[in-house]
Amino acid sequence: MFWLNGESIIAVWARQGDFVAVSVARVARALTWLLLFLALDGSAAWTAQAASSIAEGIYAAAPPRLLQIRTLVADAGQQASIGSGFLVSADGLAITNYHVISQAVLEPKTYRLEYTAADGGRGELSVVDVDLPNDLAVVRLARRDAPFFTFDGAAMEGTPPKGERLYSMGNPLDLGFTIIEGTYNGLVDRTYNERVHFSGALNPGMSGGPTVSAEGQVVGVNVATRRGGQLLSFLVPARYAAALLQRVREQKTPPDLRAEVGRQLAAWQSALHRSFAEKGFRSTALGPYLAPETVAPWFNCWANTNAGATPKPRASINSVNCKADTGLYVAPDLNTGAIQIDHSYVKATDLNQFQLATLLTQMSQPRLVGGGPFRKWYTPQRCHEDFVGAAAASDRPPLRVVWCAQAYREFEGLYDVALIAVTQDQGSAALVSRLSLQAVGYDDAVALGQRFLQSVQTSK
Amino acid sequence: MIWVEVLSRHRDIAARFRIAAPEARIGRGYDNDVIIDDPYVAAQHLRVFRDEAGQLVAEDLGSTNGTFLDGGRNRVARIVIDGKHPIRIGQTYLRVREIHHEVERERVAAPERRTLPIAAAAGLGGLLLGLSALQVWLAQTVELRASSYLTPLLSIVATVLVWAGVWALLSRIFSGSSHLLRNLLITLAGGLAFSLYHEFARLFAFAWPWSGPSTYQYVAAWSILAAMCFLHLRELGRTRLKLKGAVVAALLVTAIAFQTLQRSEAFSDFGRQYTTHQLLPPALRAVQLTEPGVFFGEIANLKTRLDSDRVQARPNEAVQ
Repeated sequence: MFWLNGESIIAVWARQGDFVAVSVARVARALTWLLLFLALDGSAAWTAQAASSIAEGIYAAAPPRLLQIRTLVADAGQQASIGSGFLVSADGLAITNYHVISQAVLEPKTYRLEYTAADGGRGELSVVDVDLPNDLAVVRLARRDAPFFTFDGAAMEGTPPKGERLYSMGNPLDLGFTIIEGTYNGLVDRTYNERVHFSGALNPGMSGGPTVSAEGQVVGVNVATRRGGQLLSFLVPARYAAALLQRVREQKTPPDLRAEVGRQLAAWQSALHRSFAEKGFRSTALGPYLAPETVAPWFNCWANTNAGATPKPRASINSVNCKADTGLYVAPDLNTGAIQIDHSYVKATDLNQFQLATLLTQMSQPRLVGGGPFRKWYTPQRCHEDFVGAAAASDRPPLRVVWCAQAYREFEGLYDVALIAVTQDQGSAALVSRLSLQAVGYDDAVALGQRFLQSVQTSK
Repeated sequence: MIWVEVLSRHRDIAARFRIAAPEARIGRGYDNDVIIDDPYVAAQHLRVFRDEAGQLVAEDLGSTNGTFLDGGRNRVARIVIDGKHPIRIGQTYLRVREIHHEVERERVAAPERRTLPIAAAAGLGGLLLGLSALQVWLAQTVELRASSYLTPLLSIVATVLVWAGVWALLSRIFSGSSHLLRNLLITLAGGLAFSLYHEFARLFAFAWPWSGPSTYQYVAAWSILAAMCFLHLRELGRTRLKLKGAVVAALLVTAIAFQTLQRSEAFSDFGRQYTTHQLLPPALRAVQLTEPGVFFGEIANLKTRLDSDRVQARPNEAVQ
């Protein structure tokens, strides 16, 4: 998934393979050449004639309200990343994505913000408040009595019809202000944070721009696309933007934003894990074992087997991997909050007990992967391992359990945790269960871990 | 009758002259009984004769560079010869003995023991290779291939031979005899000790959850290597053992300290311990199961450690 601010480098988040590094500057240069060829073709004129008249009307009204937001390196005076935004009040408040302005919030001494409106106006801007879970921010411009966008009534109630035409605006790849037509496709399934599924071509740099209905009212805020998909784009529903705006209006003193980021991360994580724990686990059969499987609807589960591998595997491995798409953008180099549950049932077909143990050793290393560079965000990993078993419960196999944790340097009370349990009741087969939690409160993690281990059972 | 022996720098006998006359003259000139081709020796340097009291005496004949007792720093004009301490003239060492000089008793020849060390070396070698092959076999989780056995086994054989060979060569150079078999035995014993240590460390890490021996395996490896080096040095010559021991110990301490430093730096860079979380067949478990409540109590204690890590990490942040 891309965030749509045109950062010069979008870092690689090691955890999620689908977040990639791109140099937007390079992409932009490549596109310039492409356009040049198109112009020579003469096909550009044809495209202009086919544009919808509704889009023309919307775009004609947009300029003073539509912004490009640029993060500049304060000392160099040049842009480090770009995104979009839009005015929502007469007194100069505008909405954009948190990830567009995150550098200025986290490193206010190094970065400053600037805007360019679609009508050519420019100036400084400052961040008023952020909403980390929904990736939103409210910024203030020194602009008075400019026209602004209003929110769409149907979108506020969450009921626009699927298939409704929507128009998304922004400044993709710093090429100039653009309007894109697409369709509303309801809310995305299996996500913890609500996102509107918008079928339209969003590009880096359009982050924070508005997506409006045919009447020109805001339905959502551009936030991300799915890499590898076709026209799969995501919006933050308008009502979260409206709620944040309401909060800004009610607050008397502006919050300390850096501390606010940590506070919101902790609050959101604690709510997430409470909800995760409330949903609880149900048992799923894997060989002779019952493994805990989450009931929470925001998990995406996939099964794997090595049955078809060549050469013929000497132990059969059947596994279930469940991953919650709850990763949260905190900083350009920190994306955290994912939850993962893996179970593998390993049965030796041609391995002796020692060889199977070697295989299990390879499968059960903690591999506590953070969502960002270690030296900047994390403390060293600490582990504890032991044989665990309840003498009273006969349906619970003895386990070898490893628990590894690392703390966040910046965010008090948040830890990354990995819990791995390997059943020890027989020598020729085992269940390897793994629970990985990112940015979790320690007590929440311990409670979840306890329930997780309780649910590893033998099915007799 | 007198015997004059010319010694090498290592006090081995380089030449031996039998003097039938009661007196012997030693020097560079051709009028001597024993001619020494050493430019620092005078033409007429030393005279050996029997004095009035019947003692055999060596007398300097007025050389410029003088005559010394072995190791002595003061020149002596007249030395009573005891047949044990060499005399130095110029850069040459001499030893003068009479025909009734007492020699050591004949050594009793040991019964032919040649087969024992050979058997021991073969046994240790077989054990080392067998253990290595066993390790490879037990770690094999994919297809069995001949090369996965041959590669480690051949490299072990090559390493052992090269290591023992180098020490045998050094031994040949410095002590005259290669002691190949002994050097080979030392090498094999060292390799076997390390293999066994590795296996037991793994067993401890699993069976008792006690990962210390496994974590500090490098300390054991360096200690074994140091012990091997000391034994090899002893084979070079059983002199100055304290000095050799001290040198080896100093190198050992340096190596361990350096690697400890390297590991602690890597730990603060990447935040990961080198420890592998080891699994072995469940039957090898040596301790009782821990009740879940107790286990999670231990885990809750880990929080204190993580929080103190965080407090320690913070000052760096403030500097930025």
